[in-house]
Amino acid sequence: MRNLASLVFAGGLVFLLLALGAQLALGTPPMRVGSEILAVAPQEVGAANIVTAVLLGYRGFDTLGELAILFAAATAAGVVLGRRRAADVRRDPPGGEVLRTGADLLFPLLLVVGFYVIAHGHLTPGGGFQGGVILAAAFFTAILAQPARHLSHALIAWIEGLAGAAFILIGLWALLEDGHFLAPLLGQGVMGELISAGTLPFLSLAIGLKVGAELAGIMAHLSDAEAPDA
Amino acid sequence: MIGFNLESIALIGALGLIVIGALGMVATNHLMRMLLALVIAEAGGNLLIVLVGYRVGGVAPILGVGEPGAAMVDPIPQVLVLTAIVIGVGVQALAVALLLRIHRAYGTLDLRALRDRMDAEVAAAAGVAPDASQEAPLGARPLPPVPVGVTHGAGRTGPLPALERRA
Amino acid sequence: MIPDLQLSTLWAASPANLVLPVVLPLLAAFLMQPLARVAVPLARLLGPLVLLLSAAITLNLWLQLGATPFSLTIGGFASPLGILFHADGVAFLFALAVPVFALLFWPGTASGGGDDRDQGARRDALTLLLVAATTGLALSGDLFNLYVFYELAAVASFGLVALSDTGRAQIATFRYLMVSAFGSVLILVGIAIVYLQTGTLSLAQIALLAPETLHNPIGLAAFALMLIGFGVKAELFPVNTWVPEVYAGAPARVAALLAGLVSKLAVLIIIRLLVLAFPQPEMAQIMLVLGLLGILTGELAAWRAKDFPRMLAFSSIGQLGLIFIAFSLGGELGLLAGLALALHHLVIKSALFGLAVRWRGSIEALAGAARSSPLAGALFVLFALSLVGIPPLPGFWAKLLVLIGLAETGGALALTVLLLILLATAVEASYLFRIAIRLYQDVPTPVAPHGRRDLGAAALLGCVLLAATLGMQPVADRLGDLAEQLNDRTRYIETVFPLHLAVKD
Repeated sequence: MRNLASLVFAGGLVFLLLALGAQLALGTPPMRVGSEILAVAPQEVGAANIVTAVLLGYRGFDTLGELAILFAAATAAGVVLGRRRAADVRRDPPGGEVLRTGADLLFPLLLVVGFYVIAHGHLTPGGGFQGGVILAAAFFTAILAQPARHLSHALIAWIEGLAGAAFILIGLWALLEDGHFLAPLLGQGVMGELISAGTLPFLSLAIGLKVGAELAGIMAHLSDAEAPDA
Repeated sequence: MIGFNLESIALIGALGLIVIGALGMVATNHLMRMLLALVIAEAGGNLLIVLVGYRVGGVAPILGVGEPGAAMVDPIPQVLVLTAIVIGVGVQALAVALLLRIHRAYGTLDLRALRDRMDAEVAAAAGVAPDASQEAPLGARPLPPVPVGVTHGAGRTGPLPALERRA
Repeated sequence: MIPDLQLSTLWAASPANLVLPVVLPLLAAFLMQPLARVAVPLARLLGPLVLLLSAAITLNLWLQLGATPFSLTIGGFASPLGILFHADGVAFLFALAVPVFALLFWPGTASGGGDDRDQGARRDALTLLLVAATTGLALSGDLFNLYVFYELAAVASFGLVALSDTGRAQIATFRYLMVSAFGSVLILVGIAIVYLQTGTLSLAQIALLAPETLHNPIGLAAFALMLIGFGVKAELFPVNTWVPEVYAGAPARVAALLAGLVSKLAVLIIIRLLVLAFPQPEMAQIMLVLGLLGILTGELAAWRAKDFPRMLAFSSIGQLGLIFIAFSLGGELGLLAGLALALHHLVIKSALFGLAVRWRGSIEALAGAARSSPLAGALFVLFALSLVGIPPLPGFWAKLLVLIGLAETGGALALTVLLLILLATAVEASYLFRIAIRLYQDVPTPVAPHGRRDLGAAALLGCVLLAATLGMQPVADRLGDLAEQLNDRTRYIETVFPLHLAVKD
């Protein structure tokens, strides 16, 4: 009965979507706000990568919400899995010499690439989220190659807390200085240089650290919770 | 309006992914497959957003790359999709955490088996219902007795395979 | 650069400070876990303190600036380019209700106790995230920003529901997550379509462009998708399958926040969309039918429910169905009826879930509970009377408005709905009074009385209800003003774009 109802619902949805798809005029978007942003963003924000200008400038508040969602997901994963003590978990055996050496070699490289992507977010494709994921990947490889390795939950909690607070404090600083939460500060510098676009690189850094800590934290919880396959 | 150009093919792909995801979610009884179907549907939604900002012949909205003066695609949907992807990742990670936890508690991820177990627990809670037992951690609590005369689902009775796994 | 920072400007009545009730709980949530590692008592205090502060800031701004609606741009970017907050009476009312209810049902000192430091900090952080998200939902005037806050509220509530560490609660959370996440995909598709049609995300600009771009079958489809998506939290008919399991499995205070606050803010988004962008009769008709199905299925299931929290959950589905019917009537009368019902349900359902902190488990087992805790019994009877709609109580007037609206609309559909609402009310009365009788039964060993805090919260809400009964006229006038403001599309647009005054009509 319930399955029938869901099937009818899904069928209705399929019909709606297909009928809709036939009518959409793609390829020529109206771009009311989009073209205006393309026109004024270089002067107002000063970032060469306009996607980053929108992400951290025009829609910076969304980005804060997004960080909060990732934080909420990591915290909720902690609620779900965090009751078990890390000590009494039976872990998978280590991945062997080759994997371990490979992971050890990759670790610093991934960190460098991650920080590079974060630092150049306002110039080239990339930014806090992408770089943060690469940072987290450095820790993923380490844990996967050596499941016995243990990430410190305390350290992760500190990094994610302080990075998130830094993002908000930069915003509040703008509220005090400029009268608007998250308004760009510190001038724009010369477009295309590493030190430019005001507070944007700092926001990127805060995002990168927070995303990295968040994902590494979820991974640590999941690996602590791994149920040994009998 | 559907002809054979890039955006129509991508549109068919996007809507197709959503449809496949939606059907997958109702068709399966396995929670992990349900989650994977959701991931597919989310991918379709994200593709649709990117598509909405696409402009025929547009280039990436980064200054100083490519020839100057070329028309750029709309940057806003790209930001939206970045946000949507990150949100999706968070939700999926949480879902996996829940699945691990459910598997540890019941030893199965099959919805029918889980529903049988839940029905038994509800019946037991409604019958006995000592206040504290609902809050006690699952491992510390004895399994609810199967009430006499209650048959689970399709005529199945008795304990489920989950029981041995928890020892 | 630093020296001339003046922290006192944060308290000043400047519109820009309206972000603080959203941002401060976020900040506190981020810092909660590190703080709990340093000083647990401080971390325990942080949440309630921040909530008090946000409530004070909101109230201060409402009193000083709330006379006329205003908008503020975040980041100082001119209106359609950046994200904006739009503050009118309804927005302020809900933005204030959020921290107040979160304080009343603060899950911090759960009666169970015994949870370790980390778990307590996580619970507090998640509650603060829920508060920030719901405040943002009340204030935001940007379609995608609303989606972001809606998702934040969703993810925070997953974590809060999962707090009760039973396997059943985990399964309920997972199913809730799946329904909710699929709803989010639908919202995203709806937003993509709206963006393709209008090229903007600002609600005011969408409202401005809607007549040419959205009043067509494509717009109808976009609204239907967003209605289903946002309807997940608003317990709308086909996507409310998660409700009973989650409310029965979650800690009762969390259920109070979800059933009371979060569902109302989801309804508020839908109403804003309906009023601003999609004021066509077809849209209202969809809502009417779904609301009707909600009230019928909800009340019948509540009648059959065997345990108290589940009964409350099903009855909540029914109540929200009625709210959707009220809003679907449209016009000031419909909005007034809907607002009154929504606030009434916010007060009553939260309080009833507060009582459910102790009254978990089956209805049979509640026998004689009113004898061991007379105040709780009296409160239950008061709330039940108002829910059913017994004359002097506010519930009566709210329901009467819906019936009047339906009678005025006329036509076969409206009259059928009217009859069915009366029928559902009879069902509602039957199961509520069945419980009331059970509560006053004479049995040797009744259940334990309530803790002081939960009873206090419920008693406070009971006093609010009685005060509203006594001051019905001023309350009705004030709600009438709010409904008028909520219904005023042109004013919303002018508040955001003063310059477009000349362009519009």
